[in-house]
Amino acid sequence: MANYLAQFQTIKSACDHLVIAVEDVSDLWPTVKNSFEERLPFKRACLNNKTRNPVFVENLPAEFILTTDARLRSRFPQEQYLFWFREPYATLVLVTCEDLDEFKTILKPRLKLIVQNDEREWFIVFVSRAHPSNDQATKMAKKVYAKLEVDFSSKKRERCCKFDVHGPEANFWEDLESRIMESIRNTLDRRVQFYEDEIRKLSEQRFMPIWNFCNFFILKESLAFMFEMAHLHEDALREYDELELCYLETVNMGGKRREFGGLDHGDDQAALLNPGNKPLTQIVQDDSFREFEFRQYLFACQSKLLFKLNRPFEVASRGYPFIISFSKALALHENILPFCMREVWVITACLALVNATSSEYKDGHVAPEIEKEFYRLQGDLYSLCRVKYLRLAYLIGYGTEIERSPVNSASLSMLPWPKPSVWPSVPDDASSEVLEKEKMILQETPKVKHFGIQRKPLPLEPTVLVREANRRRASLSAGNTSEMFEGRPAFADGSDVSLKTSPSNKVQAISMSRTYSTPGNFEGSIDRPMRLAEILVAAEHALKQTISNPDLRKTLSSIKDFEQKYMELTIGAADNYHRSWWKRHGVVLDGEIAAVCFKHGNFDLAAKSYEKVCALYAGEGWQDLLAEVLPNLAECQKILNDQAGYLSSCVRLLSLDKGLFTMKERQAFQSEVVSLAHSEMKHPVPLDVSSLITFSGNPGPPLELCDGDPGTLSVTLWSGFPDDITLDSLSLTLMATYNADEGGKLRSSSATVLKPGRNTITFPLPPQKPGSYVLGVLTGHIGHLTFRSHSFSKGGPADSDDFMSYEKPTRPILKVFKPRPLVDLSAAISSALLINEAQWIGIIAQPINYSLKGAVLHIDTGPGLKIEESHSIEMESYGNAPKSSSDSGDGSVAVNKEFDQLSLLDGKIEFPDWASDVTSILWIPIRAIDDKLARGSSSGVPQRQSIVDGMRTIALKLEFGISKNQIYDRTIALHFTDPFHVSTRVADKCNDGTLLLQVTLHSQVKASLTVYDAWLDLQDGFVHAGQGDGRPISGFFPLVTSPTSRAGLLFSVSLGKRIAEDENKAQPDSILNIRYGIAGDRTNGAHPPVAAKSNETEGTGQDLIFRSALVLQQPVLDPCLAVGFLPLASDGLRVGQLVTMKWRIERLKDIEVKKVPQTDDEVLYEVNAHSENWMIAGRKRGHVSLSTKQGSRIVVSILCVPLIAGYVHPPQLGLPDIDEANISCSPAGPHLVCVLPPALSSSFCIPA
Amino acid sequence: MIVCVAVVGHQNNPLYIQSFTDADDALKLHHIVHCSLDVVDERVNNPKRSGPTLNETFLGLLYPTENYKVYGYLTNTKVKFILVTTDLDVRDVDVRNFFKRFHAAYADAVSNPFHMPGKKITSRTFAERVSTIVKSFGFSSAG
Repeated sequence: MANYLAQFQTIKSACDHLVIAVEDVSDLWPTVKNSFEERLPFKRACLNNKTRNPVFVENLPAEFILTTDARLRSRFPQEQYLFWFREPYATLVLVTCEDLDEFKTILKPRLKLIVQNDEREWFIVFVSRAHPSNDQATKMAKKVYAKLEVDFSSKKRERCCKFDVHGPEANFWEDLESRIMESIRNTLDRRVQFYEDEIRKLSEQRFMPIWNFCNFFILKESLAFMFEMAHLHEDALREYDELELCYLETVNMGGKRREFGGLDHGDDQAALLNPGNKPLTQIVQDDSFREFEFRQYLFACQSKLLFKLNRPFEVASRGYPFIISFSKALALHENILPFCMREVWVITACLALVNATSSEYKDGHVAPEIEKEFYRLQGDLYSLCRVKYLRLAYLIGYGTEIERSPVNSASLSMLPWPKPSVWPSVPDDASSEVLEKEKMILQETPKVKHFGIQRKPLPLEPTVLVREANRRRASLSAGNTSEMFEGRPAFADGSDVSLKTSPSNKVQAISMSRTYSTPGNFEGSIDRPMRLAEILVAAEHALKQTISNPDLRKTLSSIKDFEQKYMELTIGAADNYHRSWWKRHGVVLDGEIAAVCFKHGNFDLAAKSYEKVCALYAGEGWQDLLAEVLPNLAECQKILNDQAGYLSSCVRLLSLDKGLFTMKERQAFQSEVVSLAHSEMKHPVPLDVSSLITFSGNPGPPLELCDGDPGTLSVTLWSGFPDDITLDSLSLTLMATYNADEGGKLRSSSATVLKPGRNTITFPLPPQKPGSYVLGVLTGHIGHLTFRSHSFSKGGPADSDDFMSYEKPTRPILKVFKPRPLVDLSAAISSALLINEAQWIGIIAQPINYSLKGAVLHIDTGPGLKIEESHSIEMESYGNAPKSSSDSGDGSVAVNKEFDQLSLLDGKIEFPDWASDVTSILWIPIRAIDDKLARGSSSGVPQRQSIVDGMRTIALKLEFGISKNQIYDRTIALHFTDPFHVSTRVADKCNDGTLLLQVTLHSQVKASLTVYDAWLDLQDGFVHAGQGDGRPISGFFPLVTSPTSRAGLLFSVSLGKRIAEDENKAQPDSILNIRYGIAGDRTNGAHPPVAAKSNETEGTGQDLIFRSALVLQQPVLDPCLAVGFLPLASDGLRVGQLVTMKWRIERLKDIEVKKVPQTDDEVLYEVNAHSENWMIAGRKRGHVSLSTKQGSRIVVSILCVPLIAGYVHPPQLGLPDIDEANISCSPAGPHLVCVLPPALSSSFCIPA
Repeated sequence: MIVCVAVVGHQNNPLYIQSFTDADDALKLHHIVHCSLDVVDERVNNPKRSGPTLNETFLGLLYPTENYKVYGYLTNTKVKFILVTTDLDVRDVDVRNFFKRFHAAYADAVSNPFHMPGKKITSRTFAERVSTIVKSFGFSSAG
């Protein structure tokens, strides 16, 4: 059956659509052919798929072929059977007949003959040639067609349709197509069934020795091909999938060693998308196919179908694993394949797949996830291709051009070397190339990284190439190999010499290699191990043999071409990864692009790409990887003169894990930063050193300050610099925790040198608003460079992965309290002090949880008050409890009493240290000045002195706090008073004209006063009675007066002669002089004057003089008449009731004629009464006669009726003619009298 | 041979990377582990595609490359364990078992009160335990 393979291929290529046979019974085909073929391809068809489910297919191609056509006639039955798929799927019988008889006799038997073959699906198209205008013919045609239908159609199936040549009926074409489809469907179902049966039969034998894969393949592919013809691509694809499975299952079965394939020219170019690459007959082997070609063929068929299904994504997603698994298969047969065939195949396969899928792929036609996945696959294909390409490049000596980056190392160092059975040897005529390569290797200068960073380069080789290559040369023993390497270990693993060996060694190595490369030694290269250059040259030659694609070969011909291709692949991979989920892959490859850009001086592009890579690594804290890339970025930035970027890169380098760089390298970073900072920068930019300099408050409770107080804040700074670094300035902001305002800024004035590690910096803290504060931002200068740091450290050194910034510490570093009273100044005296005497005023200074250290008190006395500067101010501590008066005077009673004498300087005093925290009392000697003389009052009731007179104020201003920033103002009112208030009363007038003057002394102070002496300086007109010297009559001095009590003195004076002339000189008032002493406690009020205090201990209190003016009025006249009110009746007054008011007038002395104008003995009287209250009966005014003799008397009575009830003024008797001074009222009339309401008129109410 | 195991934090930051190669090439393993996070991310972010393995900690093979295999494991706290091996035929059950033991070791290590969550694991005990687990990989599939 395998013999049919060639035929099968031909048939497949010749026929790619369904065939409909036309049985042209009545020679009508030429007439109808065009209109029939116009219907092709069928717009829409419904077919059954393999699982017999209806599937709609569109644009189904088909071809009408006459049964008489050579293509259908010439087939042998055997062939027909085998390649059934190409047989007609429907038979269209084209007939016409215009006569019933003719139909019955000729046509019907013939048709019966045609359709008796059950194998075929047939149907009859009756062509009516009758012209519509010809009724006769039309009718006949209808009759014949009716007969035809009766004879050939059945209930189950319509097999006829009628076609009018002159304008077919509207539904004819539909009918025709449905007939055709029905036939095709039936045929297809039958054939699928047939193939399936055959295939099942065959596959059951597949583990038997007689199994022939080719037969199976032909059947399976026939079925697949049939599906494909019917546009049932899904089913076709499934058949190919099954075919592949079956192939892989059976390919190496039975221990038969088969050829793998891949040895033909051009096989290195993958044909995985080109099913027609090689005829199958070429790859058939025994009863199966060669794996190399056949698997590619199957994949190509599958991808062709997938493209037809518009699923390029699936091609890619199947393609990548296919390439991987195929590559594994190639690896298994690598020893028979050309050198590096595997790598070349993978490269071409990936590129082919990428090109095909991306050109078929249209954006937006698939779900976003699929799209991402598609690009990921493209990226994967590109990067796989890239890796293999790099491997080839390495083998021909471009290893030096390959960046030894982690990504390259990861893919290359784990990729085994090609394993040819024998490593290619150097062609005879290649000695010049070897020399050139040798030179190239020697010229390879180790790439010194910026900052002098020295790292062992990452390997790009799985093992040492020289060893591997030589091992694969049969003629070499292992022992020689090791000898071979001793001289040049560095070259062997690709790392640079200068790093590992001292210069002298290097020279030796070079000279050694030179000796090897002398042509003389070259001849015997078969027997001695190959050197690296030779290996590379050999590999290059071998590769040229392997690679059949001129383009690919060209890309490896020079470094420039290689780089171009390398960039193309890398960019392809990176771009596609960027469009997929795999951003990291993309970014990492960007780094590779950057390396090439860098090499070509395209620093701008390189920096951009490197930045992306660094951001990726830094963002997730992959410091090891970052440490590899960041120096490159820094170098780019330096070359581009991007100072800001360069500085920040240096800072980032410094802030990386300390283990990642040596001390020397880190010092290099620092010196770069410092030198740049001190240079003239064009655009100074703030540098973020958050990762390098971190800060934290000191552990423990926050610093607590009162409102307005400055302080000092100590902050711990962690420096990540390897050496000491000088910060020219440093400031730190404070952030208020509960509002958005930025708090204050702390500045450290002088330059600060930060040691590596922990530093404690103390900032002066200006007064802050109340609230709690956390540390904000640290800023400062290094040279001209401003830097800022936002980072808090938790009290430990900045950890290596501090990129995850801690949450801002909510722990406040500083608390400033709301304004509150910090101190209280109050007067210590509770009662009035002595005026005009030096008195102590006590001022209590009470700190309220606040130190008064260094406090200064400004004292400003108000008017009428002055400080006795001759005395120092005393200060003593003061117990909290109100002091009892017992220990007054001496403040040293309490055990730990402090005492100090302070002096006033410019109106202020400074507090001593001991007074910082304890309540203290200040005693200030003071004198209130009042020029006025105290005046006594003459009434019996003591008249209070006006308080305002004795009021003085003292303004106090206390400056305290750390920098005298706290001010406390207080004005204290002080009361001063005279010791006594004096009131006088004439106690008695003696008959001899002597007046007894009672002087009452009211003590005004809360201290006991002792009167030692008192004397009266009388005013003009008064003289002391008797021989008195003005001293009181009493001799009970000293007289002690308790606080607020009274004492009395009695003076006897008598009227004296008025010395009229001296009226101006004479004193207007009498002066009472009192010599007294005072015993009082200054804590309570009045006390002995300050000056007396010194003498007090001696017991002799200083006597004080108190002077008070008294007014004594000289009586002008003696009374000569006395008017007395006679008592009223005892039953009281009632409204409406008559009452008699009586006054008695008595002449007290003889009237001196000259003084009184009247000459007779009559006296004028007048009664005054309020007319609303009283009704007066009788004469209100009149004269009564009164003898001028002393003692004569007369009674004036008058009748009155009270008019209203209540207390009313009674009528008054006046004597208008006589001066009031001469009238004495004795006894005096009542001021008010009570008038009762009228009595009830009971007479009418009393019962009989 | 297991060439590298790694613990990656939930912010994709490396917490522990240990390579078991002789050569001085840890960086390339860093790279492999780092890039494999792409796959982990993809699986986590596309629950539709990960389908039935959604609730499973074991992420399976992340990377079908030719020369090495990368397996992943995702804990409930979004901490990832990555295993890089050069064995090309590894039994899934072995890897699962490895991760189970590794997870236990990790949980013990981070339970140390002196360990700062989110920081690198510096415990020597953990390192020793990991190397024991790595050494016994493949041998003790039962335990």
